[in-house]
Amino acid sequence: MTSENDDMGLAMSSISMFNKSSNTSDSFFSSCWDPIVSQSGSLGGSSMASHYHLVMENQGISGTSHVSHYQSDPSFVELVSKLTGFDGGNLSQMVGPFSLPQCNQVANRRCPPNFTLNTEGGNERGSTNSLRFLDEHRISKEALVGTSPNGKIRKCAPESGSPLRSCKNGDEEPVMDLSSEGCDGPREQARKKPETEQNTGANSRGKQAVKQDKDSSQSEEAPKENYIHVRARRGQATNSHSLAERVRREKISERMRLLQELVPGCNKITGKAVMLDEIINYVQSLQQQVEFLSMKLATVNPEINLDLDRILSKDILHQRSGSAAVLGLGPGSNSPYGFSPSTFPGTISGIPNKNPQFPPLPQTVLENELLNLFQMGFSGSTMDGFGLNGIHRSKQSYIF
Amino acid sequence: MDLQNLNPSSLKSRFTARFLRALTEINAPKTISSSSPREIFQRYRRIKVAADKSMAYSVRSRRIWSRATLWRLRTRSRSRRLVSFGRRASVKTRTTASHGKENKEHHGAVLGVQAEELRELVPGGEAMDLCNLLDETAHYIKCLTTQVQVMRTIANLYSIE
Repeated sequence: MTSENDDMGLAMSSISMFNKSSNTSDSFFSSCWDPIVSQSGSLGGSSMASHYHLVMENQGISGTSHVSHYQSDPSFVELVSKLTGFDGGNLSQMVGPFSLPQCNQVANRRCPPNFTLNTEGGNERGSTNSLRFLDEHRISKEALVGTSPNGKIRKCAPESGSPLRSCKNGDEEPVMDLSSEGCDGPREQARKKPETEQNTGANSRGKQAVKQDKDSSQSEEAPKENYIHVRARRGQATNSHSLAERVRREKISERMRLLQELVPGCNKITGKAVMLDEIINYVQSLQQQVEFLSMKLATVNPEINLDLDRILSKDILHQRSGSAAVLGLGPGSNSPYGFSPSTFPGTISGIPNKNPQFPPLPQTVLENELLNLFQMGFSGSTMDGFGLNGIHRSKQSYIF
Repeated sequence: MDLQNLNPSSLKSRFTARFLRALTEINAPKTISSSSPREIFQRYRRIKVAADKSMAYSVRSRRIWSRATLWRLRTRSRSRRLVSFGRRASVKTRTTASHGKENKEHHGAVLGVQAEELRELVPGGEAMDLCNLLDETAHYIKCLTTQVQVMRTIANLYSIE
């Protein structure tokens, strides 16, 4: 296949270029690149290597982290081989069947299929695309803080690009001229603001075949900037404000997803408003628990040996989070967090009372004491936020 | 989880060490254990402050909420030394909250009401846009869960004696 030969040729030329380049990270690259090139026996792999190499050349040391990411994931080679099996069709269609929802999302939004189309042409095209690829890496580095799904996202982008290239060889469309205008517009706007790069499916692919000559002059400028370039999606406004808005929204939804994992019982919730409500409830309940526990610590017998504290510190550090599991695995009921205060009566009533000075603490007595203290608190000095709501909640949990 | 606990520089161990130290300080001057509600209440306040303070110190100044907590504690302690309990501190908190409400509209959050509530809950949340607020909330939740775990363990051990 001619395209395959082109790829190999490009890879070879890129490697030779790499050897000549005077980057300080040369040694690093040489050590990293060989496994990648050797690993990727498939079409996509070598193209990836070539793109990635060009990125490194332009970007310098800052890209090394991404190299390591690439290196560590052998699965992307499998993905590439799968993707090359498809022909034609939309990007989303291709990525869809892989049940990689993140990849799909990101591929639709951030995947620069442009850059994958490079290998058909000369190195110039590769450089332009590698810039976008580079920019995308910058985004993922800056915005996503390098968690594991981000690694997948980054890898998906180049992988999905390669089959498009192979399928749409020599694609000439009148759309290209328009798309090139569309590209330049937001790019100029993007110079002023950082924006994430976004790309969609088939139409953007054709751009690169013709764009190479126009963009080659611009390609040298782009890597010097530290901006993230956004590309407007098909059928959406290319206004810089709306692009920035979209970036913001994506960031927010990323964070919401992270929070969803933290807050127990929020897997089924979709929608920001409900999710935020859950988060607020959870934070409130955690704060109330801290207050409950500090109250409990205050009522407990203070005459404890100092030796015990040393034992305590060891025990606490070795303690398994069994109690936390009660909290974390609580059912998705209205107040799952109320379960943990209900453990108090269990521990208190089950303990033989050794201290004669302290009154026995069965459930009701503790409750009364707490009530007295709270009422005292209201009449006396200020109590920040420890209202009667907390008492009612504790009562409910005890009734459980 | 156990392996993490053994890490001497983990958040949990840092917090545990500090909190235990504070607890011993609070409980030390107690020669006669008086179970008067007043004293218990005062001790409760001190323990709560100690818990928040030790958590904030364990996080250092890396997070906005920890810095805000430390600042709040310091200003409150200063105000308490100058004037009698509570009045000035409450006034100060009220002024910061009102500033926060002015800023809310500028941030242009789609979910303004809930974001406002979250800002009140997370210390230092008034001056954050939604994006950072969610970041801070995630870290804050993580630290709160650690705090609750440690305190619950301590309380259980104390009551078992």
